[in-house]
Amino acid sequence: MSRIEIRNLVKMYGAHQALHGIDISIQPGEFCVLVGPSGCGKSTTLRMVAGLETISGGEIAIGERVVNGLRPKERGIAMVFQNYALYPAKTVYNNMAFSLQLSRMPKPEIDRRVREVADILELTPLLERKPGALSGGQRQRVAMGRAIVRDPEVFLFDEPLSNLDAKLRGQMRAEIKRLHQRLQNTIIYVTHDQVEAMTLADRIVIMRDGKIEQQGTPDAIFHDPDTVFVAGFMGSPPMNLVDCMVTPTGLKLGDSEIACATPDGLRAGARVICGIRPDDIRPAADQPGRATATVPVDLIEQLGTEKLVHFRAGQHSMIGKTGGRVDLAEGAPHPLAFDMAHAYFFDPDTERRIR
Amino acid sequence: MTTMLRQMTTRGTPYLFLLPGLVILGALLSVPLYKVVEYSLYDNVIVERNPTFVGLANYTNLMTDPGYWSAGFNTVVFTVGSVLGHMIVGIGLALLVNADIAPRARTFFRSMLILPWIFTAVVVALNWQLLLNPFGLINYMLQWMGLTSEPLDWLGDPDLAMWSLLLISTWRGYPFIMVSFLSGLQTVPRELYEAAEIDGAGFWHKFWHVTLPQLKPVIFGVALLDLIWTFQLFPLVWLSTGGGPGRATEVLSTLTFRLAFVDFQFSQAATVAVSILIISAAFTLLYLRNEARRL
Repeated sequence: MSRIEIRNLVKMYGAHQALHGIDISIQPGEFCVLVGPSGCGKSTTLRMVAGLETISGGEIAIGERVVNGLRPKERGIAMVFQNYALYPAKTVYNNMAFSLQLSRMPKPEIDRRVREVADILELTPLLERKPGALSGGQRQRVAMGRAIVRDPEVFLFDEPLSNLDAKLRGQMRAEIKRLHQRLQNTIIYVTHDQVEAMTLADRIVIMRDGKIEQQGTPDAIFHDPDTVFVAGFMGSPPMNLVDCMVTPTGLKLGDSEIACATPDGLRAGARVICGIRPDDIRPAADQPGRATATVPVDLIEQLGTEKLVHFRAGQHSMIGKTGGRVDLAEGAPHPLAFDMAHAYFFDPDTERRIR
Repeated sequence: MTTMLRQMTTRGTPYLFLLPGLVILGALLSVPLYKVVEYSLYDNVIVERNPTFVGLANYTNLMTDPGYWSAGFNTVVFTVGSVLGHMIVGIGLALLVNADIAPRARTFFRSMLILPWIFTAVVVALNWQLLLNPFGLINYMLQWMGLTSEPLDWLGDPDLAMWSLLLISTWRGYPFIMVSFLSGLQTVPRELYEAAEIDGAGFWHKFWHVTLPQLKPVIFGVALLDLIWTFQLFPLVWLSTGGGPGRATEVLSTLTFRLAFVDFQFSQAATVAVSILIISAAFTLLYLRNEARRL
């Protein structure tokens, strides 16, 4: 268990700047998830911590050591790759034992460790097989086992579940979470999947264009987003983000007016981006006493336990929700209630939150 | 009746297209092959109008001929030495030109290192004869560096000739191996090297545990192919040393040529040729089996 300090980290590829001064401070034993769209710099950051990419500026410290000049093997890290990167010619046993063999650990000790980890990950019956004879999920577990046997200070995961099908991904997600509870190691985990980020993380770092957009607990990120980007990135279906006009009594949304309290700084006539999650827009009958507007419902998506209600407000497409058993007609206007107590307001120019 | 006829024509069409190829192949390959085997069973072929059938007498003669055995031994030395030389130089250079350097420099080195492959054997042999000449460049350099006081007769000294020949053959043959390995190296996933680096592997460990296992199928196939080629290689040996000095570098292919066109013993030559054929065929079968297994 070690803390990780990333200070003002910069990465240049020739003249192109990929990372613009990243600062992250990860506590010992913390599960930190870097999340963001492709090309946001999250994998680059991880690979710089691993020592697979050079550092153009700034500092990375693992424990009390600055590791900038250290080679990967000297950093006390283990990494799980997206494509597993198992040695195809080695058995599962030797894949897991390789790093220990290289460190000249005594054979009985290697054997004890490999078998112990294989036991945890239920790999014992597969130890003599080669990676080619394993399923995707099994390979994934071997890749994790290879990292665990080294008992590293820090685990690095680079999109480890993205090659698995949805069902297996759910299982492995839970398995990683359980493993972290058991081993209590510091983990940096890169993903573009916001569900993985929400479920696994103690701390989420949302990145965009080589900068940190916001970091905090999953709760804080989800319920208290700082920017339009964060608000729109976390949550599925995503938060509705619509341009509105502030009126003396509330907001004008397309043709409808919704009565609500607006932040003090906003005067009537000002433009604002209003964010409201689909969960907070329901048929008026579901949540009486809220601000309602009658809007044309053009599509209903049945998800089973709930239905997604697609409707139009002015030129905006928006999504609301209702229970899976509620009967709602498509193509007809319907009164929907907006829970404006949970609405967010953003400045349309800076895209930052107005509190 | 008509359906049968139609069936025959549709089934036969592909073979019709194959016919020209088959005819050429038959004329240029099967007939000489048959003739060589036939010659090896007669005495005084070609020079006499009516050669006498002698059965396997030519073969028993060959088995008791020390010249044949020494040529056979030289062939093994030359083949194994050449293939090893090609492999080691080929893998080494492939690793070098696969290195992560400026793309322009990489392209330059790659094209330069392929050059030996494009020269014909005559040019290669003549150039190396000039270089290795007692008054040639290599002896001049060696003397200048003080490594030898007297010029060495690289191709004329029986103790040195085979080594010199192996040097020439290695120089001439490594590019094919290098190119094969280069394409093999490019299929090794980068992540494997990164994983090995994190596991604590240095250069040799990465080479031994990642590169070699990934190249194993290429190595085996290419080595076998090279073995087949080198085993019957004629022009380079003939033009460099002519099998000499004495019989120091005489291999089976030069022995065949000498028997046929210097000594005019066509029957004996045919017999040696058949022995080459049998060994080459064995290697070829091995190669084909290996390729079939890879598919």
